[in-house]
Order: sequence, then C-alpha cells, then structure tokens
Amino acid sequence: MNEIAVVGLSHRTAPVELRERLSTATSDLAAEVVALRDAGLEEALVLSTCNRVEIYAAGRSAHDVVKRVRAHLEQRAEGSLAEATYEHVGEEAVRHAFRVAASLDSLVVGEPQILGQVKQAFDAATGAEGARTLLSRCFTRAFAVAKRVRSETGIAEGTVSVSSIAVELARSIFGELSGRRVLLLGAGEMGEAAAKSLADRHVVLRVVNRSTEKALALAARCGGEARDYELLASELVKADVVISSTSTPGFVLTEELMRDVVRARRHRPLFLIDIAVPRDVDPRVGALEGVFLYDVDDLQSVAEANLRSRRAEAEAAERIVAVEVAEFEQWRRSLELAPTIVALRERHLAVVRAELEKTVSKLHVEPADRAALERMGEAIVGKLLHPALHALKSAEEDRDALVAAARRLYELDRPREDPSPAGAEGHPRGATAPVPTLDRGERR
Amino acid sequence: MLEASFMATAVLYAAASLAYYVLLSRGLGASERYVHGLLGAAVLCHVAFVALERQARGASPFVDIHGTLTVLSLGTSIAFLLATLRYRIAVVGAFVTPITLAFLLGAGVSHHTAPLTPGFAIALLPVHVGVTVLGLVAFALAFGASLGYVLQERKLRRKELTGIFRRLPPLDVLDTVSSRALVIGFPLFTAGVILGALFVARGASPDGISPAQMVGLVTWLVFASVLFLRVLAGWQGRRAAIGTMLGFACSVVVLTMYALGGGAS
Repeated sequence: MNEIAVVGLSHRTAPVELRERLSTATSDLAAEVVALRDAGLEEALVLSTCNRVEIYAAGRSAHDVVKRVRAHLEQRAEGSLAEATYEHVGEEAVRHAFRVAASLDSLVVGEPQILGQVKQAFDAATGAEGARTLLSRCFTRAFAVAKRVRSETGIAEGTVSVSSIAVELARSIFGELSGRRVLLLGAGEMGEAAAKSLADRHVVLRVVNRSTEKALALAARCGGEARDYELLASELVKADVVISSTSTPGFVLTEELMRDVVRARRHRPLFLIDIAVPRDVDPRVGALEGVFLYDVDDLQSVAEANLRSRRAEAEAAERIVAVEVAEFEQWRRSLELAPTIVALRERHLAVVRAELEKTVSKLHVEPADRAALERMGEAIVGKLLHPALHALKSAEEDRDALVAAARRLYELDRPREDPSPAGAEGHPRGATAPVPTLDRGERR
Repeated sequence: MLEASFMATAVLYAAASLAYYVLLSRGLGASERYVHGLLGAAVLCHVAFVALERQARGASPFVDIHGTLTVLSLGTSIAFLLATLRYRIAVVGAFVTPITLAFLLGAGVSHHTAPLTPGFAIALLPVHVGVTVLGLVAFALAFGASLGYVLQERKLRRKELTGIFRRLPPLDVLDTVSSRALVIGFPLFTAGVILGALFVARGASPDGISPAQMVGLVTWLVFASVLFLRVLAGWQGRRAAIGTMLGFACSVVVLTMYALGGGAS
C-alpha cells in the first residue's frame, strides 16, 4: 500500500539563505529526482521556487519515505533541518500539493506563477520516471484543482503589487496598451519598476528628469527615450500615462500646469500615477476633467483590498481542495482494493477451471457444452464472491482491516503454484492438477 | 401563433436581460457565449414574429409606431450582438437588452395607434421611419456604451476597483463604441428628420408640427451638438457620454409620445 509524503521548507519556516542553499535549478530537477530514486524512493518530485523547496515522494511506508527524503535534504544542507522543515504524509500530503498548486500556500495568495513552477517540477519528475502511479495522479489532479479554484473563486482577481496595479489601471482606461505613450518623470525606484511593467506591454516610453544623465541611464534601462526637462509640458500633453517619482519636495505637477495640459489635451483621458513621497502631483489635479490621479497610498490600498478579497475567496478554495482530496483518497484506496479483488477472483476461478478439467476429461463433452459449463462455473464464483466483494468495496473505516483479512484467509500474498488446468499445461490427462490450499479444504 | 411568438420573444429578452445583468454584476467566466446565445435565440424568435406579423398585416412594419418599435427593438439587439463581436463589450448587454425589451413591450401596448392618414405620402413613409429607426438603433448602442463609460469612470475616480469595475470594458473601448455609433447613427437620423420635415412642409401632417416632432428636433440638436463637440472641440469621455445619454433620453421621450398616441398629428 503506497503512500505519499512531502518534506519541505518554505518562506514560512526557513530563511532565504537556507532556501537558496537547497534550491534546485529547473534544468537540474530531473537529476535530483534520479538521485532520490537511487536513494530507494519509488516515486519522487522536486519543487523548487524562490519561496519553497519541497520533495514529494511515494513508497510502501510513509515513515520510511519521510526518513529517506529528510536524509537527502540534510545531506544537501550539510546539517540538521529539523526546525526549518515541515512534513505531511498521506491525505495531508495530497492536500498540501493541491493547496500549493492552487496558490493557497503562496506568500501572495492567488499568484499565478506557482502553477507553472509545479508543472515544470511535474514534467521533470515524469521525464525521470519519478512521477508514476501515485504522484502522477496526485499532480494531474492538483492541476485540475488549481484550474477549478481559479475559475470558481475570485482568488486570482485583482493584482496585489503596485507595478501590476498600475498596469491593470492603465488597461482599464486604455484597453490595449501597445503603442500608448508613457511618460516617466523622475528616477525613483518604484517609478522605474512601474515603467518597466508598462514597457513590457510595448508602450512608447519617454523619460524626463532634471538630470539629463539620469534620464538617459533610466531610459536605457527601461527601453525608452530621454527628453529634456524643458519639454515636460509638451510631453504631458502627448502622454496617456504619467508615472511621477521625483525627489522634489514640492509639487512638480501643479494644478495650474495641469489645467493648461488638460485643455491642450482636449480632455483626453490621462492616467497620472504619483509614486513619489512627498507627492509630486497637487491632489487638486485629480478633480480635473479626464484626469485619473492615483498616489502611492491609493495603489497600496488597492493592493491591500485585493489581498483581503483574495483571502476571503481562499475559504471557498479550501472547500474545493477538501472535496478533491477526498476524491483522491477514494481513488487511492480503490487502487489498493483492486489487486485484492482480482486475486480473489483468480484464486476461485482457478479452482473451478481445475475441477472442470478433471470432470470433463472423463466425459465426452461437446465444445459448446464445455463452454456452457465454464460459464456456469464463472457465474458460481461471481455469486459466491459477491457478498465478500461488496463488503470490501463499501467498507469505509475498516476497509484496510477487511482487505488484510481477505488476503490472509485466502493466502493471496503467498506465492502459489500454477493452478491452471493440468491437461492444457502438460500434466498427463487424468492426473490431479496442483491446486491451492483452499481446493483441498473444499474437497474435504 | 403571432401572440405566442411575441410572448416568446419578450420572455427571451427578459431572460437575456437578467443573464447580462448577472454577467455584469457577478461575472460568469466562460459562460459569456451562452448569454449571447440566449439573446441570439431571442433575435431569431423576434425575426419570426416580425415575419408572421408582416404576413398577417400584409404591410411594411414601418407604417405605424407598433411596427417601428418592433423593428427598433430587433435592430438594437442585432447591432449589439455585432458590436460585441467586434469590441468584446458583452457586459454592455446589461444596459442594451432592457432597452430592447422595453421597445418590444412598447410595441405590444401600441397596437392600434397612429393609423395611416389618408393622402399621406405612403411611399416615403417607410423610408422616413426606416432611416430614423436605423439612427435610433445606433443611438441605443451609443447609450449603452456611454452608460458603461459613466459607471466605469466614476469607479475609477472614486478608486473603487472591485465588482463591476473588473467586468466593464476599458474606458477607451466604451468611448470608441459610443463615438462610432454616433457617427453612423447621426446621418441616418438626420435623413429621417429631413424626410419628416418634408412631410410637414407638404402638408402630410395637416395640423403642422406635433409636440413629438418638436422633441424629435430637440433630440437631433442634442446629438448634433455632441457630434460637433466631439469632432471639432475634441470632446471625449464623460461629457460626450452624458450628452449621448441625454440625446437618447430625448428620443425615448419622442417614441413614448408616439406610442401613447400624442405623436400623430
């Protein structure tokens, strides 16, 4: 009976220095899986992101799996990891995998990158034959769970970083951003980050700074063009989005200046992002027709509101995870049950076939009659086994005990001789075929 | 049969209105196309109703206010479906489909009004009504986009970036739809107004200009001003959207006056 276990460390349990030391590059994931398989694990998958390093593995005993994975990690860390790691086994390991893939365990709940990283880990594990029956099914379901969570809850709605909020707002005003004109005013770090996010959308970026050198350097970093500070007003008239992050103590974009700009723009919408502290843009500018002014507090409060709403949605997501975990467990247990059922049927059918062979070899039976007798034998086996199989399939709490009892009573785990019909397999006609213990018992 | 097709159309429009409302207020993910499908079914039913009625009456629908409202409702639905294919403005259906339903219900209650006046220029009347209806169809679409614009703009200004804000199309798209619909609708509506003025001048309306026709002129003036300010003064966004909504409100007043029987002079 194989079980899944996970041992890992994440942003919640380990400092970045330790996570860095244990992280594995995407190109090395498969080699890592091979190393784990060589360490005696039947299945293994390595997930390594900037926030977590986790090893999922499967084997006959969860305890043994955890021991081997922990030894592997400690060997890599060259020391004990007891405090920095967590472990989950069985159902809890599956739940953890589902929660990680659905971005419920992420630093920023609902962030989309983790799913891609889990897929990479799964591909590497599959390639290295580390994800077979249990892990393969577990992660295939994890992807489906992540998809359900994203489509059925609002967990991924609303971006939560200042840069991406700036992009989202710009899109809600202008739609497609490609070809739109973005003006970056000043050389603040957050302004640069927001400008870079917009530059990724193929905007036309212009940089204005009091220092021409800084403007040139910034333009080169962000993929834009620098403009003289004297051209600020005309650039403001042309721009669709303005990101302001200067270190000037007073307002750079005064109401008077912006009133003229708005008039010259004929009230064309202008998205003004004031990331500077102290602010660059007079707050009264926000009341001008066609101007949408957002300062750093606005953007941060949007981020916090989005995060709160994501956390609220996480409850619905946890319910989806719980249902899916229960379904996975049901599948896993049916997997354990299936070999027992097959073995039970085979054991009984073997007896029937052997007895049938003995009987018909003494009589003159037509092939059609023989086939009918065989069908009768199979039907008898089916009916005799029905209550036992039904009890096994419908058992909940005591299923493991029942499966174990059935295997012990019918000696299903004991290697046995071939009980197939003797005549067909080379035994002299009429000789007694080797039959399982049960047959002898029945004959008595 | 005629009544059944009318009822079925009205029910389907009501269902589509509700579905578009849910699409706007809660979002339906990938189910957007089913909502369009519902409106498509309403349109097919509506076409069947128009065909059956034409067969029963043996006349063009453009000869009285009942037929005018029926075709206006149908045209608005079709125009919206075409616009959403091009501009992906599905949630605007929450504003447009109730209008189509209202037009249809208006047609339902105005069966026996405005009979043809003897001596009326029968050949030109369908042309006058036809082009006016096409203009109004464009204005109804412009109204839907403008209402979306005003709501979205208000959300952005108040920094309420949740709920319908996430589902409404970008301001620029809404402004483009409103502007293009206005540019297409205005010449058609103008042609309708000119033909209407001709009837009045030639004495087709024996009592001169009716109150409804006066409001119709006001409607034309409002739309003309919005278009003028858009093209020449560069008006965009909120002001243009409010002007467009005002113009459409005037046209609804005209239609209501006709439907209540006050339009026929």
